[in-house]
Amino acid sequence: MVTESPRATTASAGELLARAAMLRADAGLMDGCARKLLATAAALSGCAAAPGGTRPALERQAAACTTAADQLRRAARALEVHARAGVGKPGTGPSAARR
Amino acid sequence: MRADGHAPGRSAPDGQDAGELLRRCARDLAEVAEDIRSVSARTGGALRAAPLRASARRHPRTALAARWALLRALTHRHGLGGSATTVPKGVARAFGAGGAVPGRESLAVLVGLASLRLRIAALLVDHPELARDPGMRRLREAVDRGRDPDAVRALRALFRDRGAQRGLSGLAPLLAALLALRALLEEDPGAGRTGRPFAARRGPSAASPDGIGAARLVSVPRSEGAAEPVGLTDQEKQFIATEGSFLGFLRNIEVLSSNGRILVQNVRGPDGVVRYVVQAPGTAPGRPRNDSPPDYVGAWRELFTTDSSCTRSILAALKDYGIPRGADLAFVGHGEGGTALLNLAHDAEFCRSYRVTHVVTVGSPAGTREPADPRTWIAHITNQHDPVPVPDDRNTTPRLDPHPHRYEVAYPGPTREFPLCHMLREYIEHLRTVVPEARERVDEALAAYRGPVVRTRAYQPRDRAHPPEGHPFLTLPTSPSPTTVGPVEVPVRSYDSAVAHLCYPVRADAARGLLPGGTWLTPSRLGRRALAVLSLYEHRCTTIGPYTEIALSVLVDDLWRPRPYDLAVDPLRRADLRRTGRYVLCLAVTSEEARVVAREIWGQPAMRTTAEADLTGRRIDVRSRDLGLAVTGRLGPGVRCPEADWVLYGRRGESTVRTLVRTHGRPRLHPGTGVRLRLGTAAAEPLAGQLRRLGLDTARPLFVLACPQFLAHRSAGALLPR
Repeated sequence: MVTESPRATTASAGELLARAAMLRADAGLMDGCARKLLATAAALSGCAAAPGGTRPALERQAAACTTAADQLRRAARALEVHARAGVGKPGTGPSAARR
Repeated sequence: MRADGHAPGRSAPDGQDAGELLRRCARDLAEVAEDIRSVSARTGGALRAAPLRASARRHPRTALAARWALLRALTHRHGLGGSATTVPKGVARAFGAGGAVPGRESLAVLVGLASLRLRIAALLVDHPELARDPGMRRLREAVDRGRDPDAVRALRALFRDRGAQRGLSGLAPLLAALLALRALLEEDPGAGRTGRPFAARRGPSAASPDGIGAARLVSVPRSEGAAEPVGLTDQEKQFIATEGSFLGFLRNIEVLSSNGRILVQNVRGPDGVVRYVVQAPGTAPGRPRNDSPPDYVGAWRELFTTDSSCTRSILAALKDYGIPRGADLAFVGHGEGGTALLNLAHDAEFCRSYRVTHVVTVGSPAGTREPADPRTWIAHITNQHDPVPVPDDRNTTPRLDPHPHRYEVAYPGPTREFPLCHMLREYIEHLRTVVPEARERVDEALAAYRGPVVRTRAYQPRDRAHPPEGHPFLTLPTSPSPTTVGPVEVPVRSYDSAVAHLCYPVRADAARGLLPGGTWLTPSRLGRRALAVLSLYEHRCTTIGPYTEIALSVLVDDLWRPRPYDLAVDPLRRADLRRTGRYVLCLAVTSEEARVVAREIWGQPAMRTTAEADLTGRRIDVRSRDLGLAVTGRLGPGVRCPEADWVLYGRRGESTVRTLVRTHGRPRLHPGTGVRLRLGTAAAEPLAGQLRRLGLDTARPLFVLACPQFLAHRSAGALLPR
């Protein structure tokens, strides 16, 4: 029979929390990407030499960046919940934790 | 001028240069694409993190929620968009969502595509002449597809198409951007290491997703650089400098650049010490390479590594030359050759064996690395309009901390047109007339090498890992043939050409009237009609450089024993056994070298003109403003036909010149109904007059023999005594 030590569980929960923090940071990065894309679209608005359709494409991509940022934050939250579930009741499942 | 009041190439409304604005925006987008790619990679990493997998057994519900949220973030079509490499295969299969969703591309790729579009637009603002480049045409066809996913798919196909890669390899200013996008497309994960200039500049990026790269990189055959000593022709020997000087070294490179030879020379300096000068040429656009790498764009990336085949070829040449350890060496190179020599100067092991005192490059990217020996004096001379040495950010401002052993000159040359602005001949002229101070400064630095040349040896670089280009069809014995523009290797070989032969039945007496009087040439007849052929060629890569050709010819009988119906029977024979052929009435070509070769070697009445040709698709389009001629139309359904080898006839003095043209492609025979020749009212003689006399200006061709891509070689002309 294999048993897991509480120390190992805490370590893995720590790593998951670190990943969640990274996802939050990435969400911020994606927001920054959205701002950059919008700024680029605005800069190109008066440039006749820019390929046609660039501006709407960049705006679509900026919206996608914002969506991705929201989804990354959601994923970070879900990962945190999972990590805390593991730390709160080491060696027990979520059903046990609810009991 | 466009409807919005702006003309391409002019300033943007806020006064900044349109090209510069587009380049800056392209850079920003490339950075964003790289950021998104790294976010995707990290999200994928979180999804398959070992603690998440391990804890999923203990807490399946929260683990499932977390994994679902991560997978959604990674693959949502309105978010990151997912990609096959960032989603672990097992997870993707389990959740039924993979990266390779048809009709969808990852957000990073789409932003990378937008960046490439801007970069292309910026390049065309500065170099509108590149719009005619066949590689650029294919690239624009791909990226300008209606929907972004379609464009990405077209780009993937383009990267896989070896024929297209040859064209892309000529787009040196865009290669870094192409490599970056290809890395995003995961066509070649290794490309990311050197192909993402922006990521590299911003420090190490996130680790690439698991497992890709290493295995595939190993599977790519490595180049094996080698160099064989070769002799110089008498004509070449006359041009090789006998005294060491900067311009002399550059002229040597120019003389030997036609087939990429490396030159090593011993020079006795003013102090009596013998030193060594290594001179390496670049690759000329539209001319064949010595090797034939399976991936030209990847080969460009490899050029910037110390282990490139070009660098290894130079090492092999130095080894054969027998340079003693510790000897003083100066390197002078142009374009690719300059980059390869810089690689050697960066190699610590090489610099322990030899003392590299000087590296002088002309038209080569300067790079940011320092030489292994801090005493090495490095000079970079670039024309600001030359997009090859400043491909990405045009950072031509002097460094803030000028190194005492570094000399950089970026001057605005009078030549803007690419590839002319990258050619060594132009650089030599500019060093004489535009920036003579740069020449003096380099000559001053090379003072120890300014003396009599005591030994000269040329080397032909070889790459044993790849077959020569065009092998086996174009691996032929060649010999130099003297012309007024220097020796030309015959047979002249074409590595990438397209053609459309428009065949018209014409009145036999009209054709006879155009053949030279007092000769034995008579038009071949089918009944009362003769056959005239208007041939339109787009030669994208040949041993005499790229050019477009428009030729009008008439099929003629055997000079000695003309027989009826030769026209029907003779084409069934092997080309070298044929007695009939096409007499070239008029030939217009777009390069001086092609004109001289046609006149002096093939005896054809060639003239120089300007023309643009697009013969690669179903729609053909050839225009020459100088000639007042346009051939446009759509090729109808066609059938495969045998190789179209030809015998061409020309005249030299009192003799007829017979030239054999062998081709290798997949020609197709189309009805000529969809194709039309148009002559302007001011169409120029002699071609327009001949076309009118034959009645081709009002007729449609009977059929069109077209081939969008083929190899060919044309022998030297054999003189016939009639």
